[in-house]
Amino acid sequence: MNKKKYFHAINIIQENCNGCSNCVRICPSEAIRLRNSKIIIDETRCIDCGKCIQVCPSMALTPISDKLKEIENFDYNIAIISAPFAGQFPHEIGFQRAKNTLFELGFDEVADEAEVSEVIAKMIREYIQKNPKKRPVISSDCPVVVRLIQLRFPSLLPNILHLEAPMSVITKYYRDKIIREKKIDPSLVGIFLIVPCIAQVTAVHQPEGSYKRFQDGAISMNEIFNKIVALNIDIEPEENEIDFASRGHTWAISGLEAEDVNNGEIKTLAVSGINNVVEVLSRMENHQLENYDYIVLGSCTNGCVGGVLNPENPFIATSRIKRLMKNRNQVKIEALKTTNNLDEDYFLKLFRNGLFDVPNLEPRSIMELDKNIRRAITKMKKMQEITDLLPGLNCCACGSPTCQALAEDIVQGKATLDDCLIRIRQEKQKN
Amino acid sequence: MAEYWNFEPNYEQKAKRFFANIPKPEMILNYDIAVKDFVHSGNASAQIKLFLKRLGVDAKVLRRVAVTSYEAEINITAHSFGGTIVGNIFPEMIHIIFQDRGPGLKNIEEAMTPGFSTASDLVREMGFGAGLGLPNIKKNSDVMHIVSAENESTMLEILIYY
Repeated sequence: MNKKKYFHAINIIQENCNGCSNCVRICPSEAIRLRNSKIIIDETRCIDCGKCIQVCPSMALTPISDKLKEIENFDYNIAIISAPFAGQFPHEIGFQRAKNTLFELGFDEVADEAEVSEVIAKMIREYIQKNPKKRPVISSDCPVVVRLIQLRFPSLLPNILHLEAPMSVITKYYRDKIIREKKIDPSLVGIFLIVPCIAQVTAVHQPEGSYKRFQDGAISMNEIFNKIVALNIDIEPEENEIDFASRGHTWAISGLEAEDVNNGEIKTLAVSGINNVVEVLSRMENHQLENYDYIVLGSCTNGCVGGVLNPENPFIATSRIKRLMKNRNQVKIEALKTTNNLDEDYFLKLFRNGLFDVPNLEPRSIMELDKNIRRAITKMKKMQEITDLLPGLNCCACGSPTCQALAEDIVQGKATLDDCLIRIRQEKQKN
Repeated sequence: MAEYWNFEPNYEQKAKRFFANIPKPEMILNYDIAVKDFVHSGNASAQIKLFLKRLGVDAKVLRRVAVTSYEAEINITAHSFGGTIVGNIFPEMIHIIFQDRGPGLKNIEEAMTPGFSTASDLVREMGFGAGLGLPNIKKNSDVMHIVSAENESTMLEILIYY
């Protein structure tokens, strides 16, 4: 993948665009414009939430992810599935069988993000207790939220939990383990994430705050889903086979991580959906939510189950994961033993030695109109004058998301008053 | 009419010159605050915050403006007969005036004491009225000025330098 200043996992296919401007309207950071029938994404503003991909009716915006065939570049490949994987498969296939099919797809080892949730919860609790002045602590799980804070709420950057995300923690564990046990040349070990959203793809290719690149690629849940279903389509489900998931998989659902971190002393809050996240961050800026110790924010509907790369509807996936979790009680202990048992002390030792620490994040402010306040004020005045000339319909026909955004684009020299079609019509009627 | 002033020592001289001859602001933001409208309370301070973000004001300063204007807005909503907020934008600072329509403060010094509150049970139940509003505003502003009297209106103004 080519590297621009800011990598984004969105592919623009201009010839497919029908000009509907759905993407312009939905973008929570107002990063998209349609000018001269071309989609333009401002790469400094894009937070990789994937909303534009979800609303595009004509496949002009499509997700970018690594292809499965990239595992051919390595001798020993590990797939790490993200928690929502457990909710993607209909019961005819089932989660455990889907997971096993990954070996048939060429992986030598299959690991699960859910394996580390318990130990991660411990680390989070320890972190919260060791930083009593930092309230609330904001979870660093969702890369979209981290970027949103950098862009629009830089004053909250110190509140972000300075701990690697579960996916990175587990990657480090497996890389060390394989190199130690199998004595393979480290450059020939490939670690691939099976991810639910494009923000995770971006996080792999351009990690924010950490300088080491942890993984070798991020493969979309959709691609893996298709391949797994194709391999299982003619196989009858085995009778008496109980499909199950673990508590960690429920972290794909908004609210469950917060519940697990709360040991009775830690007051937690979980929020999902980008608009709710923006509202809660804005309140946090006013110091309104300091009575919470830990806040988990997720950009997608109902948590990671709502990711744009998941084939299944977020609520159906939620219901499945919860059902699989309940099934766990009926599973024989021998069957559970086949799932990987991780050495908690290994993680806690690395954690306490600071190996999972993330350096302070830099703001990426996009809000200011100018680096110089006086010039910014002048621009603001001009913007208001221009806004008064515009119809205020926010119709989006000009290609900017709102009349105010068009006014800003005009002030910044990126558009002209003539881009407003309503105004042109009004002028015509006058003459 | 009773009056209260608090100056951050670093800005005292500058601020006194400002109040002696208040210049014309670059821009003015106006908001009406309705009586006991807790649903919409906080919108005006959110707008002010957004405006300063657009000007590129430093994140720490911005947070102080957010806290002070939010606390003062809630005060108008919870404790007064409604009022207005005027944000005067200058290139080096913001001057915000919170004016209500009564009933006024019985004793300003008392109101400045942390923990002091006249909030009704209803207001407390909603999570406001802990008696930290004015002390918080004092802590986060460079200048704080209150003019009030019982059974009259209250005017609170603050200056925050960028």
